[in-house]
Amino acid sequence: MAAFVLALVVGALFALGTFLLLRRDLIRVVWGLAIISQAANVYLLTAGGIVRGTFESVPVLAGHGEGAPETADPLVQALVLTAIVIGFGMTAFALVLSYRVYEEHGTLDVSELGRGRDRGDRE
Amino acid sequence: MSPELSVVLAAVSVPFAAALAIPMLHRVLGERTGYAGAVVALACFALLGSQYGADGAVELSWIPSLEIALRFYVDGWALLFAMLASGIGVLVFTYSPSYMHGEDGLPRYYAALLAFMGSIIGVALAADLIAIFLFWELTSLCSFVLIGFHTDDRSSQYAARMAMFVTVGGGLFMLVGLLILASVAGDVLGTAAVVDLGGSATTFDLAAILENPDAVREALREEGLFLPVLGLIAIGAATKSAQVPMHFWLPNAMAAPTPVSAFLHSATMVKVGVYLLGRLRPLLVSHEWTLLFATLGLATMTVCAILAVASTDIKELLAYSTASHLGLMVAGFGFATFVGAEAGAFHLLNHALFKASLFLVAGIVAHEAGTHRISDLGGLRHDLPVTAAVAGVATLSMAGIPPFNGFYSKELLFEAAVESVHELGTLGWLYVAVAVFGSIFTVLYSLRFLALFVGDRPTGLGDVHRPPVTLLAPPALLAGLALVVGIYPDVAVRAIVQSAVDATAVESHAMHVGLPTSYSPALGMSAIAIGVGGLSYPFYGRIHDGIRSIPAAIPPVSANWWYDAVVGGLTRTSAWLAPRVHNGLLRTYATWTLAGTCALALAGFAATRALTLGELGIDASPAIALVLLVAVVAAIAVVLSPSHIAGILTLSILGFMIAIFYILASAPDLALTQLVVETLVLLIFLFVIEEIPESDEISLGRVTRDALLSLAVGATAFVTVVVTTDARPDGLTETARHYVENAVPEGGGTNIVNVILVDFRGFDTMGELVVVAIAAISVLTLLVMRGRGEAE
Repeated sequence: MAAFVLALVVGALFALGTFLLLRRDLIRVVWGLAIISQAANVYLLTAGGIVRGTFESVPVLAGHGEGAPETADPLVQALVLTAIVIGFGMTAFALVLSYRVYEEHGTLDVSELGRGRDRGDRE
Repeated sequence: MSPELSVVLAAVSVPFAAALAIPMLHRVLGERTGYAGAVVALACFALLGSQYGADGAVELSWIPSLEIALRFYVDGWALLFAMLASGIGVLVFTYSPSYMHGEDGLPRYYAALLAFMGSIIGVALAADLIAIFLFWELTSLCSFVLIGFHTDDRSSQYAARMAMFVTVGGGLFMLVGLLILASVAGDVLGTAAVVDLGGSATTFDLAAILENPDAVREALREEGLFLPVLGLIAIGAATKSAQVPMHFWLPNAMAAPTPVSAFLHSATMVKVGVYLLGRLRPLLVSHEWTLLFATLGLATMTVCAILAVASTDIKELLAYSTASHLGLMVAGFGFATFVGAEAGAFHLLNHALFKASLFLVAGIVAHEAGTHRISDLGGLRHDLPVTAAVAGVATLSMAGIPPFNGFYSKELLFEAAVESVHELGTLGWLYVAVAVFGSIFTVLYSLRFLALFVGDRPTGLGDVHRPPVTLLAPPALLAGLALVVGIYPDVAVRAIVQSAVDATAVESHAMHVGLPTSYSPALGMSAIAIGVGGLSYPFYGRIHDGIRSIPAAIPPVSANWWYDAVVGGLTRTSAWLAPRVHNGLLRTYATWTLAGTCALALAGFAATRALTLGELGIDASPAIALVLLVAVVAAIAVVLSPSHIAGILTLSILGFMIAIFYILASAPDLALTQLVVETLVLLIFLFVIEEIPESDEISLGRVTRDALLSLAVGATAFVTVVVTTDARPDGLTETARHYVENAVPEGGGTNIVNVILVDFRGFDTMGELVVVAIAAISVLTLLVMRGRGEAE
């Protein structure tokens, strides 16, 4: 069964993230990255199947040695958990990198930075 | 007798191991490293010799899940080729120290030479399609290193790149052919050697394929894949074996040091293509096979013989001659008759003996006389008497003069051509005529090469020194062997050629060669070739000039011109394209990457017809839908935010909404992590933003274009989610179920997600922690080190 609502949400988040990614302001580019990674996480979870949260469906077994209940897919959750943490590392690094770029060049305008590179090449 | 796996493995791996040890050996032995290489080659030769008479396959499992194994197959054909490679290897390693005296980069030279020898033995013995391909490309790689040995010489770089481009490129075509063959053969050969690979069976086991050649051929025909496989493998073999029109790289490859030319570009590497044709001949032989390879081979034989006559340099002459003789072998294997296989296999041996010898002679001439221009050389028999005798034997053999060894295999080719007349009619007569025509030029250039040693010395030729014995012995030994084969051809046939022919032929006969005692059409053809060649030799200078004037007048007849045009065109196009894609602006990179990814993904869905939708489900509860709606609204607010601070706060709203979504989607661990991470990100953003002023920009035109691209990306993501969730199997996957069932018994924990992260995939989590640690260190470095690092 195709997940229509979730597909709409993931598509919208991807579109908005991409739009930010193409801005000239480096801070907004970092926001774009953050939104896209959120959207990718939602997509991963969707791919494993969304199960409404009840006591039975959380992938925690009730007690030792008992039979496995019908849980949501624990595999995608483990994947997404890793992805969230890595995404955090990436966002933090990108942000501090932008800050350093601002310190070095006095601007966060990506276009100006690109032109500056060209000038540097010619000199 | 069946072969020993350990011996076969040792024969293939010893050269590679020795190649690794060369840099150390070179420190101890200096220029004498070559003799160590000779010992290694001799060891390989002995190991292979111990398998003499063996027939059968051995295997060592490599990637069991894909049924890829290091399978080796030993029979007469494989042994002939592998022993030729190691045997000539011994001589080349013995020859090299004197020839390469005083050169830089000797460790690289010997290591590449040894690795090459290992790869060639690997190609000869491998019985797995993937292993064959790998060894095949390894030989190209070694050849690249050796041709480009003089790294500071532009023409040497050009030649090395050309050889790499042509032979590796051709190898890729062959790979496709082999993969098709593997998939078809997998269907035919049933479950024994087969693995289920995404619904279709594949087998890479060449030994198994060759046991059922008819069934595999029929299956290829039924699926309409026979011609594609034949064509793709032909491209691979033709590029490697320098067949017309891909012959041009071989003369250029003569930029390599002469021992390399003798070893790689006459005796072994260029014969790999011929070798593979012989190997696959029982499988693919058919009418089309004959049309393709007999035509290709005879065309190459003739065109390259003509070009050899036009050569001005002794190594160039020998290079074109090599291509011409490779054409002879290909044509031999092209004819479907038993005689054809005899011609191909026997000439492989004969050519290796006399041509390697001639290249080593050319090396002596260049080394001692200081030039390899044909017009500067002559009358060398006074200065180099022994060399002249060696060259005499080898050259007459190359010309196909009885009773030298080249005569017998050429007779066999003529016989095969004559026999083809029965089957092919007019075309067969054409083959006969072309074979004789090409042979006339062979006789011509052979006589020209011989003329370097007889006649008068040109006045410009300076002192010519006597070569040391290590330079002289290898070609003398090869010429001696050629002479023995010439006088006692039956000995060679009984020793190895018969078993090699049996492996490459469809049916089996006893093979007999000897000096003819009565007239036959083939003998007449030889007589015409030798007679006309001899009679027209006085006009050599005019023929030479005439041939040279053609490509000078019309450049497009030369294959090299096409190579330069194509490669030059590609280079110019790239040089034009690169600055447009890589202009230093982030948005350009992002645009190309995203648009490209979207196009590829959508094209993939379209090609696999994945876009036909099943039912559209609303699988989100109202609560989830509401939360996600808020998340999207927050994202819109981020885009529209007038200031950095507003953007950061709305971005946080988005993050926290996603956290609530995780709670509702029964993923509490994710929700906890998300909450922590969002809080941290918010704090970091706030810290950084304090230091940075607002920048206001964005013109309207760009917004429209960016919005279009964003919509495309969003639509692709939407389609992807719909398609993938539509194809999702019900319930848990096998892997997930495995984790659920084993969490308590094996991991001892009831939180399955946690057990996966810290127990089942503990190492992955450790890697993740390393990533976070690296990010933290980088952040610290960026913030703290500024003042220190660049103030100095």
